[in-house]
Amino acid sequence: MSNVILFNLTTVLFGVASALYLGALYARNEKISAVGTWVCVLAAVVSTAALGLRWYESYRMGIGRIPVTNLYESLVFFAWAVNLFYLVVEGKYRNRTFGAFVMPIAFFTMVFAVYNDSGIQPLVPALQSYWLHAHVITCFVGYAAFAVSAGVAFMYLLKARQEKAKISEGIVGLLPPCKMLDDLVYRAIIWGFPFLTVGIITGAAWANYAWGTYWSWDPKETWSLIVWLVYAAFLHARITRGWHGRRAAILSIVGFLSTIMCYLGVNLVLSGLHSYGGG
Amino acid sequence: MADEKRTPSPIDRVWNFFTSVKLAIFTLIVLASTSILGTIIEQNQPPAKYHQIYEDWAFALMDRLNLFDMYHSMWFLFILVLFTVNLSCCTIDRFPKMLKVVRNPRTKLDGNLEKTLSLSDRWKRKGPLSGWAGKYAEALSASFAKPTVTEDGGEVHLYAETGVASRFGVYVTHLSIIIIFIGAIIGNVFGFKGYVNIPEGESVTQVPVRGGVRMQDLGFTLRCNSFRLETYPGGQPKSYMSDLSVIDGGRETLRKTIVVNDPLQYKGIWFYQSSYGQAGGATAQVAVTRKDGTPLATLALSVNEPVPVEGYGIVRGVNYEQNFQGNGPALQVTVEKPGKPAASFWLFQGRPDLDRRRNDSVVFSFSGLSSKMFTGLQVAKDPGVNVVWLGCALMVIGLVMAFFLSHQRVWVRLSPGADGRVEVVLAGSASRNRLAFEKRFEKLQTGVKAVGQ
Repeated sequence: MSNVILFNLTTVLFGVASALYLGALYARNEKISAVGTWVCVLAAVVSTAALGLRWYESYRMGIGRIPVTNLYESLVFFAWAVNLFYLVVEGKYRNRTFGAFVMPIAFFTMVFAVYNDSGIQPLVPALQSYWLHAHVITCFVGYAAFAVSAGVAFMYLLKARQEKAKISEGIVGLLPPCKMLDDLVYRAIIWGFPFLTVGIITGAAWANYAWGTYWSWDPKETWSLIVWLVYAAFLHARITRGWHGRRAAILSIVGFLSTIMCYLGVNLVLSGLHSYGGG
Repeated sequence: MADEKRTPSPIDRVWNFFTSVKLAIFTLIVLASTSILGTIIEQNQPPAKYHQIYEDWAFALMDRLNLFDMYHSMWFLFILVLFTVNLSCCTIDRFPKMLKVVRNPRTKLDGNLEKTLSLSDRWKRKGPLSGWAGKYAEALSASFAKPTVTEDGGEVHLYAETGVASRFGVYVTHLSIIIIFIGAIIGNVFGFKGYVNIPEGESVTQVPVRGGVRMQDLGFTLRCNSFRLETYPGGQPKSYMSDLSVIDGGRETLRKTIVVNDPLQYKGIWFYQSSYGQAGGATAQVAVTRKDGTPLATLALSVNEPVPVEGYGIVRGVNYEQNFQGNGPALQVTVEKPGKPAASFWLFQGRPDLDRRRNDSVVFSFSGLSSKMFTGLQVAKDPGVNVVWLGCALMVIGLVMAFFLSHQRVWVRLSPGADGRVEVVLAGSASRNRLAFEKRFEKLQTGVKAVGQ
């Protein structure tokens, strides 16, 4: 199971990157966070290789399917997507402080994954479909964007409190200005929302092709709709009613909490109510 | 008239209520939060199950509120209708205004407009005004978009825009939701969903729908020729499939082997492989041949069921062993010939010729147990489904238009200055992604300013 070894290495790298970013904030040292970036790039390479290897290994076992079909795989795929999305944001905004708030999400996701069964199981017939690829990938790109948005929203709340008190010292002083954070909270969501929409649509198309119903109010479907509605509310509040700053940040965090509920909660808390997906 | 403006009429008030974004945000949040209930309370279970979970008073209350089938309850439907009315009113209210703005853009950069634009620059040039206007129009065409030229009282205004489609994105998205709802309603009114089990070799012409309350005629016959299950080495099902035939007008018009994720469709009715199971008990497959090898009969023996063989006697399968005395699967049969005492003997699946030793007039060979299976099929007819997909496609297109296009507008005003030179003002605005537009504007600014220098 060499892919699992690579995923474990990825976990360590995410942990190191998170520590470096947090340490850089604490020590107010840009050089430390620059190392963090390289660790993230390395982690991206290692985790991509691990996903590829796992895919290849499944073929060697005679099962042959994309590695996004159970809880372990979806968690590592989510962490992989968060890391990539983060690197894009860091590159675009030329600011490394985001890492301290986003990379821990990837790290804890991987830690959680390690406690789950990492075996490659064969696919049940319901999952044997090309829709699987389009559905899972679009959903998780959406989830990753929402994770980044929520991480930045958290930064915003910290920064806004400080700006209000007119202090610019301390760790929070290093964070980008509120205006930029506020913009990024919104921007990550306008990437995540269309991807979630396509994810829900491809899921509906698949359901229709597998059992003749595109929507059956299954808990997973319903929660994906709840997530969609929360972000739809966010977008309307933001665009037409000018919700900026604190209220928008809180709504983004609420959106991500409902995303977590949709992704993990439905399977872990409401277990037994639905039988597919595994994660 | 002035009075009317101060106190809006009741109709206006109702209209304002239904066209408000506040109502939209409120409905979105209400839909989201009430939807949670149905994921916590298991939906559409038999009442007995709810009685096990909930106290009587809680059951009565929840039943009253339709919480056991809440997504089809009147109150949930009411929220959906409110949502749709709000959406439609917003569109009716805003779309014509938007269209008017798009059709009649403000092509003149007057003082009021200029004040609202954060991106602007001004400079002066020597020479004829019309000459500069022509040069700048060319520069805009080359690096932005072909401008509209308006002359007014000695001033020349250039106006150019790109990405005007982004203004339509929100309406395409809203329309797509209404189209999806229409598709869902068509499916509910003109379609049906059912489930049917068909044992191998048997046919159906009707399927139970609405949980078995009503039988739906298919208009043709569907036969299950055979069913097959494949398993992974570990024993989990890998794939299961049904060989189905459609018999319409007395002849087979379609035959297809369906698996999960690959259904059969005939005359708008879809059949989906959904489940399977054993239909009745197992039967033992026994071939009867003469001593010279000519086949006489193939028997399917159920436990203790007498089966006559012409010109021979009555055969019964009485016992089956998975591994009889270490010789593998074996079947015990009894034979009653007319006027003779019943004889009982074992047939081994792995050794079909062994029965010759019995020196009877016929030879039995046991080829194994076969259990008759049934296939479980979801049956659906949904004439609205393509309307739903149309809505979904429009939704994605609308979202991309709304979020990834930006309506960018640029104005240039040339006016004769007091000192005889030409005063030039360049200004711009974007409907979204202002940071990206700022960069584009800076480039444009440098480019336009360099013209003729």
